[in-house]
Amino acid sequence: MVEKLIETIARALRVPPSTLTPETGPGDLQVWDSLAQINVVSEIEAEFGVSIPFEQVAEIQHVRDFLPYLGKTS
Amino acid sequence: MKSALLSNVNVESIARQIGRHEVHIAQGFGVWTQELADPASATFSFQPASIFLILDGAELLRGQRGLQPLLAELDEHLAWIDRAAAHFPGIKFFVSTIDVPTRTLRPVKDERIERLIEEHWHEGIRRASAASANVYIFDLKQLIEESGRFHFYSNKRWYLGGLRFSTTGERLIAGEMERILDAQMVARKKCLLLDLDNTLWGGVVGEDGINGLQLSETGPGARYRDFQLRVRELGKMGIILGLVSKNNEADALEVFEAHEHMVLKKDDFAAIKINWSPKAENIAALAEDLDIGIDSIVFIDDNPLEREAVKSALPEITVPDFPSDTSELPSFLERVYKECFFTIESTEEDRKRTKTYLANAKRAAERTMASSIDEFLEGLRTKIFLTRAGEEDFGRAAQLTQKTNQFNLTTRRYSEQDLRTLESTRGGSVYIASVADKYGDNGKVIVGILRRATPDTAELDTFLMSCRVLGRFVEDQVLDHFVGELRRDGFSRLQVRFTPTRKNAPARAFVERLHGGRLLPSDAESGELIWEFDIAKASPVTKPAYAELVAKQLLLDEVVS
Repeated sequence: MVEKLIETIARALRVPPSTLTPETGPGDLQVWDSLAQINVVSEIEAEFGVSIPFEQVAEIQHVRDFLPYLGKTS
Repeated sequence: MKSALLSNVNVESIARQIGRHEVHIAQGFGVWTQELADPASATFSFQPASIFLILDGAELLRGQRGLQPLLAELDEHLAWIDRAAAHFPGIKFFVSTIDVPTRTLRPVKDERIERLIEEHWHEGIRRASAASANVYIFDLKQLIEESGRFHFYSNKRWYLGGLRFSTTGERLIAGEMERILDAQMVARKKCLLLDLDNTLWGGVVGEDGINGLQLSETGPGARYRDFQLRVRELGKMGIILGLVSKNNEADALEVFEAHEHMVLKKDDFAAIKINWSPKAENIAALAEDLDIGIDSIVFIDDNPLEREAVKSALPEITVPDFPSDTSELPSFLERVYKECFFTIESTEEDRKRTKTYLANAKRAAERTMASSIDEFLEGLRTKIFLTRAGEEDFGRAAQLTQKTNQFNLTTRRYSEQDLRTLESTRGGSVYIASVADKYGDNGKVIVGILRRATPDTAELDTFLMSCRVLGRFVEDQVLDHFVGELRRDGFSRLQVRFTPTRKNAPARAFVERLHGGRLLPSDAESGELIWEFDIAKASPVTKPAYAELVAKQLLLDEVVS
């Protein structure tokens, strides 16, 4: 699951998956700015068929923070 | 290629997706009119070759101003576009159409101002595009309508960061922008070559006849007519059209003359190669005649084997996969247009191009070339399953004798009952063969009927094959197998009958490549020709065996019983 998540985020950020770990967050990569964060959310929603509630998006600080949402369908 | 993207919403994420071209974005969204109005703005200082103006309809409506002030504001925007286009004639301006979703809650009876706004804007940019050579319409609304607003917009992205479009929507916009930018740099393909049977019309003209073809104004045959309409549109854009088909030329051309629903006419094609030679040879010759590179040719054929053969002999050619669902034919050609022939405008010269090439081609001499046909045929891994026809085969065998016109040596039509009687007669045998290859099974496609003429002479009463496996010399191999079996059973002579018809040129080509035959005196009235071969020592077959032939045992025992 983590692997697929990292691949998905890497695709949204246009970086190699190897640059990401579960601990990586928007502060760690220059390309992961606030605009990219929106694309990361959209990409994950599309890839996993889930909806991350609007209210929660701001609280996501690391790759691992997406994990609780992946199993839930909207 | 340098370009700039202006919008009334945040489009930075779209610009990031465009990899092959440099895209400048104005800082601070909503500044698009300022950027356009000021010749010294950052946008113009970037010196773009193209400027894209992508406008979000809902955003244009923001603020409750009422219809008239809003339309006046749109006119102001249009005036800025006109002025900028006049000031920078070297820059191409791609101005979007707008989509205005109805968001207001209102009774049914109330006016739909969204439509009025869309129409007003469209009328304005249509006029601008007609007046200025460097103003083009970017049909954003079309993109939205194709995929639907539900998929194209995203509320979440809008409220999170002013991103109006979903990732899908952004991808579509970026894709269209790239197509437009690429079209200004990359040479598009020049020539579209088309097969005839089951491509320009449904069915096989040599088998089904003109009246049996699927091609009509409405109903199922309309999918081919609509396909032809799209082809003609490509021709009008200056794409050279050509025909490459395995057919009797007279049969095929008659469809162009005589079928009332043919959209395309013979003169729409700059080059026509309708014959029985391998298509790769024809295409290579045609490229030479037209003086164009193989890499500027796109070839459309419904037959995967033909596509594969052409691709392997001419690797530079573009051969799109044919849709497996033929109702997709018209949209398939739209895709081919976007991928191979996309153009931002066509000129008078473009529109006359086919006529020019038509004249050139008439001068150019016919030529042939050797291609790696042997290699191709071996690569097909063809298998022939030959068997004595059983009760379950008579239906199909009779149908083949009824329907097959092209590769049919004697064109003798038999009913199921005829074949059954023939089979039970002493010395008469019916054979049927199926042909498969690495792409799948072509089914039962070959019928041969042997009779005993004299104690040591066998006669080939019927030999036919469906044209779908023509050009692979499986017929040669089947005959060669017959010869071997006849010889084993004590026959020393084989008589091959051939009755010429208007349609069986491929069968004539076959008998003419057999070796060592002696023409017997024959009945002049029927035009039937009989060759007799001495098979005791040699086989008349000269072609190598490309396929693996699997024959059921007891193949010919009954012939001599």
